[in-house]
Amino acid sequence: MAPQENYTPAVRRALEELERAFPDSAVIREQDGEGGAHVTVEDVPLGPPYRQTTTWVGFRLGFQYPYADVYPHFVRDDLTRLDGNALGAGLSAGRFREKPATQVSRRSNNLDATNQTAVLKLLKVLDWLRSR
Amino acid sequence: MTSQWTLTIPDGLYDRLQAHLFPGDGDEHGAVILAGVTQGPRGTRLLARELHLAADGVDYVPGQRGYRMLKAEFIRDRVLKARNERLVYLAIHNHGGGSQAAFSADDLRSHERGYPALLDITRGMPVGALVFAENAIAGDIWLSRGRRVGLASATIVGRRFQRLWPTLPRSRTIHDPTYDRQARLLGPDGNALLRHLRVGIIGAGGVGSLLVEFLARLGVGTLVVADPDRVDVTNLPRLVGATRWDALATLSDERRPQWMQRLGRRLASTKISLAHRIARRASPSIAFEGIVGDIADADVAQRYLDCDYLFLAADTMQARLVCNAIAHQYLIPGVQIGCKARVNEASGDLEQVFSVVRPLGPGGGCLWCGQLISPARLQQEAETEQERRQQRYVNEAGVVAPSVITLNAVAAAHAANEFLFTVTGLTKPDAERAFARFLPLDRRMVWDESPNDPACPECGPGLNSRYAKGDEVLLPTRSRRAATRWPGLRWLYPRIVSAEQDD
Repeated sequence: MAPQENYTPAVRRALEELERAFPDSAVIREQDGEGGAHVTVEDVPLGPPYRQTTTWVGFRLGFQYPYADVYPHFVRDDLTRLDGNALGAGLSAGRFREKPATQVSRRSNNLDATNQTAVLKLLKVLDWLRSR
Repeated sequence: MTSQWTLTIPDGLYDRLQAHLFPGDGDEHGAVILAGVTQGPRGTRLLARELHLAADGVDYVPGQRGYRMLKAEFIRDRVLKARNERLVYLAIHNHGGGSQAAFSADDLRSHERGYPALLDITRGMPVGALVFAENAIAGDIWLSRGRRVGLASATIVGRRFQRLWPTLPRSRTIHDPTYDRQARLLGPDGNALLRHLRVGIIGAGGVGSLLVEFLARLGVGTLVVADPDRVDVTNLPRLVGATRWDALATLSDERRPQWMQRLGRRLASTKISLAHRIARRASPSIAFEGIVGDIADADVAQRYLDCDYLFLAADTMQARLVCNAIAHQYLIPGVQIGCKARVNEASGDLEQVFSVVRPLGPGGGCLWCGQLISPARLQQEAETEQERRQQRYVNEAGVVAPSVITLNAVAAAHAANEFLFTVTGLTKPDAERAFARFLPLDRRMVWDESPNDPACPECGPGLNSRYAKGDEVLLPTRSRRAATRWPGLRWLYPRIVSAEQDD
């Protein structure tokens, strides 16, 4: 990570953890100008119950991470189910960084800032997505 | 910047230390404090974070050259901890006497023998010694590169505000007939104490403007006030001293063209300029530092780190997170004030109205482990308006912020009394420490639990907590500088200090 990139230490740690947790995916980051980052993790495995085998996942790490929830997450806008059913509750049309996307609304109601990292949150979201 | 060094001690830590040093046997006892450090315009403050009591005969034993000494193993473990956690090591013992404290010649010789080596171990973090009398303290602080400073004073903070010096200074009683009626409650030194305090108010809205009025009239010497907003017509029912001219009501009237309304909103008085006017009207000699900015911005938060007390009168979660962090990280006692109403979503009926006064920091509670800072709201407040429109948020439960001056006044007055009686030493030792909630519809008042979770990253003693760490840890603030919409019009507010001007 370039030293001139202006991230808070917590956001910087989260970005490094994401790169370690998804070694086969590109983790693209963009500064938000406040110490946080807009993050896109490319080529995350998906598969059943969805027709698509991979997706990108986008989200924002705010400057007050890890106190602030990482929410919502966004995936590819053409997400469709193998069984042809609607995507269901918690999934809706949205936009991420001006790009059409499917919004995944999974808020953490009892956030433990000392234990719930951006990686854990993303893994929970993906787990929920694949279990629909 | 003055080079004065002082020590801030939470009252709970001080009481444990006092009980250990002065158990009534008239003998000498030992301990160690590990402290954080912060540097500010008024000098360098040591922040007492951990107390390690030396057990008599085990850790604190007869000395080879002096009367008593800390054993090498006891010192080693604490010095290594200080090095690893970037804290200041302070060895402590007591002498007899009441209001004067000083090191003996033997004490000073032991410092000269041992502290250069300790400085090598701590890799440049200061080391030193404190000697306590029952109501006095002296300190000998060793810095890198052969520098050495004395401790000017110590302040015990929490549910009381008590100063200790090496010798009792001359009385600073101020005989000002203006404050005669107040002096009959606060005592002869009370007004003088208020005059020397630097008090921070976060938010100059409905609650904040009342606090500015109260504190200025009480005779507080310096107010530091930040608010990013301008006066709006809808603020007039609850902003102290606000006029329709402040809101440029003629321009911003909804019957005017949109461009004129926008112009009116942009040229309306800032809430800071209004607060400045209120403060100077109440107390012409007050020092007022106003910041048109948001405490969530790093350069605005920086202005509060040297305060003696904080009032959180802003209603954003971002402000709660930063203020709570400052209170615990810099050992600054304070209070959070708020008013809420609960409306039944289905029927629209008003279910409950309450005002709260929540003491924070040393001697108080914590908004984070008290679950009073919503991670979801923090995330939403960081979003741009466009991002909020693009995302579909589920409607929150029907909790809205009322805008009623009388509700604000209940909370503001109780908070101001909390401050006044704490700093003047009038709060009783067994006074309630919980959060206060006033329920005007029920005509009653309740106490809410005021938690301090040992595992809390804000107020707990854990390795990674920010508690009493001072400048060693970053605050959870926005890293960019606070923006000014109209830098060219700064001349309109010549006596207001803005974050942008204060380079």
